[in-house]
Amino acid sequence: MRLLLVEDDELVADAVVRGLSIAGFTVDHVARAQHARAALGTEHFDLAILDIGLPDGDGLSLLQALRSAGCGTPVLMLTARFTLPDKVRAFELGADDFLMKPFEQAELVARCRALLRRANQLPGGTVRLGRLSADLAGRQLLLDGAAVELTRREWAVLETLLHNLGRVVAKERLLQALAGWEHDLSANAVETHISRLRAKLGDAMTIRAIRGLGYRLEEPAAPGAAVADPRRRS
Amino acid sequence: MTLRRRLLLLLLPSLALLLSAGALVDRWVALASTREAYDRALSGMARAAVVYLQADAGSPRLLAHSGELLRQIDVDDPTPPTAHPAVDGIAQALQQEQRYLAITGPDGALISGDASLAALTPRPPPDTALRGPADRMARGALFQDAQLHGHTVRMVSLELPSAGGPLMLSLAETLERRDRTEHVMLLGKLLVDFAELDLTLLVVWLAVYFGLLPVGRLRAQAEAHASRELRRFDESDVPAELRPVVTSFNRVLELLHDAAAAQRRFVADAAHQLRTPVAGLVAQIELLRADARTRRLQPELERVQRGAQTLAHTANQLLSLARAEPFSGMQEKFQPVALDALVKQLVERHIDRADQAGIDLGADAQPAQVYGDAWLLEDLLTNLIDNALKYASRGGRVTVRSGVEGAGHYLEVEDDGPGIPESERARVRERFYRRAGSPGMGVGLGLAIVDEIARAHGGHLSIGTGPALRGARMRVQFTLSGGA
Repeated sequence: MRLLLVEDDELVADAVVRGLSIAGFTVDHVARAQHARAALGTEHFDLAILDIGLPDGDGLSLLQALRSAGCGTPVLMLTARFTLPDKVRAFELGADDFLMKPFEQAELVARCRALLRRANQLPGGTVRLGRLSADLAGRQLLLDGAAVELTRREWAVLETLLHNLGRVVAKERLLQALAGWEHDLSANAVETHISRLRAKLGDAMTIRAIRGLGYRLEEPAAPGAAVADPRRRS
Repeated sequence: MTLRRRLLLLLLPSLALLLSAGALVDRWVALASTREAYDRALSGMARAAVVYLQADAGSPRLLAHSGELLRQIDVDDPTPPTAHPAVDGIAQALQQEQRYLAITGPDGALISGDASLAALTPRPPPDTALRGPADRMARGALFQDAQLHGHTVRMVSLELPSAGGPLMLSLAETLERRDRTEHVMLLGKLLVDFAELDLTLLVVWLAVYFGLLPVGRLRAQAEAHASRELRRFDESDVPAELRPVVTSFNRVLELLHDAAAAQRRFVADAAHQLRTPVAGLVAQIELLRADARTRRLQPELERVQRGAQTLAHTANQLLSLARAEPFSGMQEKFQPVALDALVKQLVERHIDRADQAGIDLGADAQPAQVYGDAWLLEDLLTNLIDNALKYASRGGRVTVRSGVEGAGHYLEVEDDGPGIPESERARVRERFYRRAGSPGMGVGLGLAIVDEIARAHGGHLSIGTGPALRGARMRVQFTLSGGA
């Protein structure tokens, strides 16, 4: 996965480049809007990370120029400015996500992964999640390559969670997903199916219950993303 | 001293004094005119008798008639004249009306009538000697006050020329009648004066009251400024005398407003400027800690990282605070904000941090809505959750709620940490106040921000105790609920 970072602050840029490299991304870095435009015009990137404040024009106008030129690369905006109009404008112009400075590396990595997955995921395609692989169109789930039998209700729950990977899904929404399959839904139908899913998939997948909100399918930590030292390998 | 009090103090006593003086003059005039009228009536009666007696001087019959006449011309007496009574009878009848008649000869001896009155009657003068300075004379009539039969009387004496030298006719009456008239008159006057005084004072009070209404309105406006918003005073309704004051006050307000805005901008800019280098610092330290070569320096690096995080946190908090300070026009940007959605969003955002701290973070989001600024409310709730996560013990519970109680919609965060003792609940809202032994990287701005944002939304932060008397319960109750 190739990423372009557009950031003029050296300290931040250096840290982001190294952090993302450790997480397994290839990162190109430019400090100017005009260089960014040139790079995006000639080469392919899977994701662009744009700082809003740049010395030669702001990231928002760069974004606008990219989008009007037909560039569909997912864009994550980085900013130290924290105003609602900025954020609204960024999304209107076609930004895919927004991250405030200062941020934690782990959060940046997670956001990048989520954006890339969303961009590469075709409707009804296959979702890979650690040791799991889910074929949404064929309704088939593989664990370490072996098929796992799921009831249609369990599948309905899992599918909803997969569509919202890493995000909380309200219990009401899971109930709605089940409603097509069960006519007399008991209050704890969701809990029942979740616990069955957990039993079948064990530690290959974590479904986290959040009190008062619902459930969240946790993103697996990327292999090698935690503590790694690229220099030692090289 | 208020302006109204000052005006009333200046006006009311002097008016009361003036009106009292007027009443005194009235009294004097009333007394003098009553006396004059009664004197004239008395001398008229006497003169009528004289005229009558002169026509037929020396005839005792006529003297008797004169008594009758006196009764006839007495307007106060409705009894019809008795036909031909004896002179003594007449005198007696007169005496019953408290009037006395006496006719004396040139030598001063009693000819007819009351002897005691005769003794008081002056001698007929040789000529002008009759006009004494002490007694009032009215066309030859001599008036005097005297004591007769134990009463104070007013008497008049007239000269009655006759063949045997001048006679004197005296007519006296007690003061009873004129006193009664005087009383009635004085009482009437007094009542009128009193009513006049009351009415005048009332009119003055009303005039002062209504005249000072614009000042009262100005004061009400000033009190409405209590929200710390530096809004201008409305100049349209202000009286001309006060307008310069209000205008210059408005100018000062504008300056103050500009200064406050500049300060807010400065803090916000400074915080913004700090963020990028701090972001670099935090990220670099994070990488350094992950680097295997620094394994032996972990404790030191952890401290450095904590410091950098505190720096980042402080920059964010300063920005929040600058944003939360009320400014004019802030409320115009308010929109309905769903509190339950906010609770869900922020609980989700804090789940990972709660996990790291081993805290069970949960939501109880009941529908609620306020009229406000979504970002400020997000800041408010973020600070409350941060605070709760900081104080809750490992393995503890933090619950974030929204809902409606009575007319107020509220946000609430409850933890099961040590709680905040009653004595510190006021102080924790102060900026940069940190409780002794506070954990985490706070700088003591969290609750100050919450308090500020709550007030900007017409809300109130109340600090209570969690269930089972443990932990802290922070609730912000709003009054500006967005229209459903």
